[in-house]
Amino acid sequence: MIQRYLAIYAACVRFSFKRALEFRLDFFFRVFMDGLWYAMNFAFFGLIYRHTPLLGGWDEPQIRLFAAGLFVMDAVHMTLFSNNMWWLPTFVNRGDLDYHLLRPVSSLFFLSLRDFAVNSFLNLLMALGILVWALTSYPHPLPAENLAAYGLALGMGIFLHYALLMVFLVPVFWLHGSTGLRDFYYVMDRFAGRPDGLWKGWLRRLLTTILPLALVVSVPTRALVEAEPWGHVLHLALASGAFFVLLVTLWRAGLRAYSSASS
Amino acid sequence: MTPRLFLHVASMGARRTLSYRANFWIQALLTFLAELGLAWFLWRGVFEASGATLVAGFTFEALVRYSILVALVGRVVHGTDLEGAVAQEIYDGGLSRYRVYPVSHYAFKYAQHLGALLPALVQLVLFGLAWILIQGRAGLEGITLLSALGFVAARAAANVLQFALAWPIQGVAFWAENVWSLMAALRFVSSILGGSLIPLAAFPASALPWLEALPFRYLYAFPVEVLTGTVDAAGFARGLAVALGWTLVLRWVGERVWRRGDLSYSGAGM
Repeated sequence: MIQRYLAIYAACVRFSFKRALEFRLDFFFRVFMDGLWYAMNFAFFGLIYRHTPLLGGWDEPQIRLFAAGLFVMDAVHMTLFSNNMWWLPTFVNRGDLDYHLLRPVSSLFFLSLRDFAVNSFLNLLMALGILVWALTSYPHPLPAENLAAYGLALGMGIFLHYALLMVFLVPVFWLHGSTGLRDFYYVMDRFAGRPDGLWKGWLRRLLTTILPLALVVSVPTRALVEAEPWGHVLHLALASGAFFVLLVTLWRAGLRAYSSASS
Repeated sequence: MTPRLFLHVASMGARRTLSYRANFWIQALLTFLAELGLAWFLWRGVFEASGATLVAGFTFEALVRYSILVALVGRVVHGTDLEGAVAQEIYDGGLSRYRVYPVSHYAFKYAQHLGALLPALVQLVLFGLAWILIQGRAGLEGITLLSALGFVAARAAANVLQFALAWPIQGVAFWAENVWSLMAALRFVSSILGGSLIPLAAFPASALPWLEALPFRYLYAFPVEVLTGTVDAAGFARGLAVALGWTLVLRWVGERVWRRGDLSYSGAGM
């Protein structure tokens, strides 16, 4: 079964490459946009560190690792999921979901992954380059155990980010609005782009449990720079698993509530 | 375009934005609370770690106030994504109908854009006033009737400038489909160089003359600096002049882009 899904995904990627190369100017606009977003984040953190030695308990080399992880997370999200998730509410409201539900493949899999953003794939290569630079310029030793924990945790953080956003999109089956709760998620998502050490009290509890945005990039960075990485990995694994179960449950309930174009 | 028609188009834009009232206000309140949380905890972290009483010349209360005001001003300046609708009309051929309108397309679109901003203006007044009153004396520091009037003028200039910045970019839709990414790129550049993400005083001193010469400061930081009384009369006049100068230059660039684009426009959509 996995082989069949991989073959379907390979076909989706092939079609996406062909489509992307037909609109070459557009292709570079998105590369340019993400490049500017990376520069803006580096400028922001650089300016902050002109006025403080630490931010959320991290020094500048540590924040460079955090920022690089954020770029990789964003680039993977933009490459694999973003285009698909953008169109999901429109499909539900227009009744276009029908065509996808008829296919002999998991609808959640196909609707989450069918469009591979080739232009963002170039940004992913750029983000990985920045990550390699941040890792090699880090002034302290990074043990292999921490690097392994980081790779695993960042992968789970990316998956958690996808599951969280989908949980906010799926209510479109009932709300019939144009975006579900996507705009609310985008507001809250900005908390994922700052180190979790900044958040205190009730906000920290919220962002590490009910709405675990603080785990997406900060916890992988902690797994990389702190002495005991596996507790962080376990925390992320539990959160990712819980949100995936919630997503699948909501998705199934949403499909039961879906009634084609009148939805 | 007559003032009466301009106001009519603007009021239609405002009514359209308010057609989902509950959603609009819930979204507005949540965004405000999130922005407050982000600013409060970020700057508290910086002040605690540095042990300083002033950061970039601001106290903690002044920095939180600046961050809140600049976020609210930003919403009034760029508003809803009405600018995206201009590019969409080029893609789908909807631009053709403006050919038969006896008014300027630019003025018509600006009236719609302005109307869509009115709810954000109400938010600016309500949330801005609420936060200033919650902060008490620190919230009111530097704000006078004169500075509030200057703020209205600076904010209006910012709004016209933002539209002039977006117009040539929307015109790129004559040749390319993915204009939203260029608009996002403009948002990124203007938020860091315009003082929306972090006050411009946090930049190195050598960068400040450049930031004052570029248009981005006049979108976000300048109106808030005028309101909080950190800009003197000469600085105010100079700021408005720079904003107006950039608006004229960008208007000229926009005209050139649209004139070239018109030559390749088929009316059938892309």
